[in-house]
Amino acid sequence: MVTVNPHFAKKLQKFGAKTSSECFNCGTCSAVCPLVEEQALFPRKMIRYVQLGLEDKIKHSIEPWLCYYCGECQQYCPRQANPGELMMSLRRYLTSVYDWTGLSRKLYTSKAWEIISILVLFFATLGVIYLLHGPIVTEHTELETFAPRHIVDPAGWLFGGVLSIILLINIYRMYRLIMTSGEQVTIPLSLYVKEFFTLVWHFFTQRRFGDCKNRSRWLKHWLLMSGYAVAFILVNALSKWFLTNEFLSVFHPVRLLGYYATIAMLYVTTEAIIGRLRKAEPIHQYSHSTDWMFLILLWLTVFTGLLVHVFKYLDLPLPTYYTFALHLAFTVPLLALEVPFTKWAHLAYRPFALYFKRLKESALEAQRAKTQATQVKMSA
Amino acid sequence: MEKKMGIYVCTGCDIGESLDIDALLKVASGEYKVPVCKSHPFLCGAEGVELIKNDIAGEGVNAIVIAACSQRVNYDVFNFENVIVERVNLREQVVWCHPANDEDTQMLAEDSLRMGIVKAQQVSLPEPFQAENLSKTVLVVGGGLAGITAALEAARAGYKTVLVEKEASLGGWAAGLKKVVGLRPPYTELEDLDLAEKIKEVEGNPQITVYKSAQIEKIAGAPGMFDVQIRQNGSTASERVGAIVLATGAVAYDAGRLDSLGFGKYTNVVTGEMLEKMAANGGIKRPSDGKPVESVAFILCAGSRDKSHLPYCSAICCTESLKQALYVKEQNPKAQVYIFYKDLRAPGTYELLYQRVQKEGAIFFRGEVYGIGEVADNQLVIAAEDVLAGEGIKTEPIDLVVLATGMVPTTAIGEKLVIKAEDEKGAQEEAPADEIIRSNILNLEYRQGPEVPTLKYGFADSHFICFPYETRRTGIYAAGSVRSPMDIPTTIKDAAGAVLKAIQCIELTAQGSAVHPRVWDLSFPEFFMQRCTQCKRCTVECPFGAINEDEKFNPLPNPTRCRRCGVCMGACPERIISFKNYSVPIIGSMLKAIEVPEEDEEKPRILIFACENDAYPALDMAGINRLPISPWVRIIPVRCLGSMNLVWIADALSKGIDGILLLGCKHGDDYQCHFIKGSELANYRLSKISETLNRLALESDRVRMVQVDIMDYDVIPGIIEDFVKRLEEVGPNPYKGF
Repeated sequence: MVTVNPHFAKKLQKFGAKTSSECFNCGTCSAVCPLVEEQALFPRKMIRYVQLGLEDKIKHSIEPWLCYYCGECQQYCPRQANPGELMMSLRRYLTSVYDWTGLSRKLYTSKAWEIISILVLFFATLGVIYLLHGPIVTEHTELETFAPRHIVDPAGWLFGGVLSIILLINIYRMYRLIMTSGEQVTIPLSLYVKEFFTLVWHFFTQRRFGDCKNRSRWLKHWLLMSGYAVAFILVNALSKWFLTNEFLSVFHPVRLLGYYATIAMLYVTTEAIIGRLRKAEPIHQYSHSTDWMFLILLWLTVFTGLLVHVFKYLDLPLPTYYTFALHLAFTVPLLALEVPFTKWAHLAYRPFALYFKRLKESALEAQRAKTQATQVKMSA
Repeated sequence: MEKKMGIYVCTGCDIGESLDIDALLKVASGEYKVPVCKSHPFLCGAEGVELIKNDIAGEGVNAIVIAACSQRVNYDVFNFENVIVERVNLREQVVWCHPANDEDTQMLAEDSLRMGIVKAQQVSLPEPFQAENLSKTVLVVGGGLAGITAALEAARAGYKTVLVEKEASLGGWAAGLKKVVGLRPPYTELEDLDLAEKIKEVEGNPQITVYKSAQIEKIAGAPGMFDVQIRQNGSTASERVGAIVLATGAVAYDAGRLDSLGFGKYTNVVTGEMLEKMAANGGIKRPSDGKPVESVAFILCAGSRDKSHLPYCSAICCTESLKQALYVKEQNPKAQVYIFYKDLRAPGTYELLYQRVQKEGAIFFRGEVYGIGEVADNQLVIAAEDVLAGEGIKTEPIDLVVLATGMVPTTAIGEKLVIKAEDEKGAQEEAPADEIIRSNILNLEYRQGPEVPTLKYGFADSHFICFPYETRRTGIYAAGSVRSPMDIPTTIKDAAGAVLKAIQCIELTAQGSAVHPRVWDLSFPEFFMQRCTQCKRCTVECPFGAINEDEKFNPLPNPTRCRRCGVCMGACPERIISFKNYSVPIIGSMLKAIEVPEEDEEKPRILIFACENDAYPALDMAGINRLPISPWVRIIPVRCLGSMNLVWIADALSKGIDGILLLGCKHGDDYQCHFIKGSELANYRLSKISETLNRLALESDRVRMVQVDIMDYDVIPGIIEDFVKRLEEVGPNPYKGF
């Protein structure tokens, strides 16, 4: 017997779920959802948990990560209880639960924390650039001289390393929560290896998103994700050609890759910003402040990146250096706040959730087969 | 009255093309020597009607047989003053459901005509019953919302009204309400009920006489002339009224029986009624210490929809509790509200109220409440099943628990009486009997008991769809929650509806006419008392308690209580009860007019007694839909299957008719019988017929009763075909040709 906690719903309001009390549990949302499976019924059950304040059950739930927010449920909900937005809020809430630093909760529940964090990181980055930048050559644009690779690259690795460690710890916490819920089963080590492909596959393809009714969103999301991946590779692995004083030919593969990443990210973020302003689609109707933070920072990052490129090839030295500094000052809060603590953490949580789900299912299947075999043997 | 007959055969609507009209007319002029026999291609047209009118005026025709369409249509066209009109249904039941120009179809048409002629020969024009000293006053019993509304509606319609209330002030249950749910957009606000204004209007209206702190001591008489004795403050007043509106409402179920929900055990468990009182008088507080409440739980269906308490839904507890949840929220917006329900029934615009309460943050639980326990500081913890989460749940300590108890109609409270008939030897017969509860409301001086009959939950019986308001006592109309649990707007509409019924009754009684469902009917049963054996069957079986008895058990009919169904006529073993235009001999001669072919002709004959209310229209509809029906059937409409007298069965079988099919309405708790018990009584009488059949050395399979409703037109041909098949197995009636 569980105790009802009427205060949980109020707590979740800060994460965006403002209408959960209006749901009367008809189950239309679960009936129309193309992603629902027998073993993972949502959103109805999750809403009920929220209404009853069954915080413990919610913390151990995997379901929020299995929803891709197509908005079907929202359109059919007879009570305008916004089940899709509730699932979104639960993802925000779970992100804050997984995060061991506590920063995630602060960012999600306090706008002041959010804005101050961005400003601090923005100015700190500018400060670091001010202190560490190389010689400013004004006769000619020399970006690599201004931002020497021997400083930028290790700084980037260090930065990435710290964020990765935080995120990995969070993933481990997620793993503990999900694996200790429901039916208990021991997962053999070999299975982790065997099912590893699930993780990779879903990380790179977001295949499950494609099962939603509106496939164009999957394509757009993939476009954004691939643009980001390309940019990531350019910045980290190919910085020798990317962050350079040289002027590359238009058909240089690095330039082409750069264009692809820029166009992809700029197109999708611009479209999302317009969509959220228009609020025409269910998925764009409700915007948490962290959604705006993500979109705006990403857009500014990509846009300043583009400007750096334009100024460099127009051979305007000072504008190039300044916009480059700005570019970094947007990139740092974007990555630092979004990747381990808020919205962008889903890049890890979603594929890992599917990986964990698969692990558990396979292990349970094997266990059932084994008990069945034993039973057959015994009866024989 | 010297009769001059006229037969008019219409040849329109396929009749002329399908039948040999000359042969048909020859039946009338030859066999029955009818002086005026005519056909017309469009009898219901102006020219056709003129033809008949000319014969009435010129030839002195005063008994007419119209062989055309069903009696259910054009009754207004073929309506001639002081002229007997009988209808022969050649269209729907002959040519539309049988092959054209066929020997069997022609035989059917001729038999139908014979029956029509014989009937016209036998019937006489009804003379309406004229009672003396009729009153047009409406008596309203009960001064709650329904009673007040009824009194005002009656007075506004121009009828004097007497209102009797047992309490010292008017208003009833509704007067105790702090607020009511708003019935204007946005439908989510609470409003005041304008009851005080209505009470003022009632008390100030010169048309309305109000008796407060009063009770009905006795009601004698019948519609148009009820004599009512009202006891008030030790003295008795008399009023003569024409019709009665029963609006005594319901009371809350006794929460004392709900000890499993902690009532009476824990101080902070109260009923909805108690909460309403608290809210109206200074706010909702904990009874244990008078502190304002921080959390309240409502348990809906407390003792309702529960086999060991009230098995039914009381319709308003859900919305009343939602309203009370808003009282709590208005008093303290931070107070936590929990609502436990079985099914939340908030129909219509109440849905918006439900949504508002949800928006305000109340938590709803669907499932069974396991129990309530008390913790420190007189707080309560509820354990329940939450079906929606599939979990057992318990609450944090709660300040106050409110039980939403259901309604018990005032007619359900009292000793149960069952009125039964006795046969000659004094042994009780098993005819279906009414249950009457001595609830001390109307105190009727009726043979069949002092109150109106109730259905299984003790609500005053009034058919829930077909005849709302109409109780089983003519002239007494139930309104409000005494007949069915209902909310405030429904009660107000109900009161207006019941008053309208009462006024109709008063006016029709003055004309000597029956009330619904035979509003046009001026006939009434007449008793040939010399042959009465005082068997009491008529006085007991009348579904409307129309017949009283004197001390020697002689029936004392009250024609204005009568609905003209003829159940008494069917019940009477001596056959002494008849109507001017409907009697045992009239139907008997009709069935005797059927020509029964010899056995070797292999043309069996089946007689159908079809109830005029559902079966007969269904047969008409089968014809309209051109559904083929066995050519062997001969149909006689009856007012109600309850008017079927067993002698008809004996007569038909001894004449050589092979089988008899009785088509009547559905009976039982959800009856569709327009006269409530008619088809049930017919069924009961049939159970006794095997004796008669054995005496005649006949198989009991030759008589079959089937319950149909008006929508069953598509299955009726199959029902008949099935019976024909069974009769083929049984073989021809051995009495043929005797």
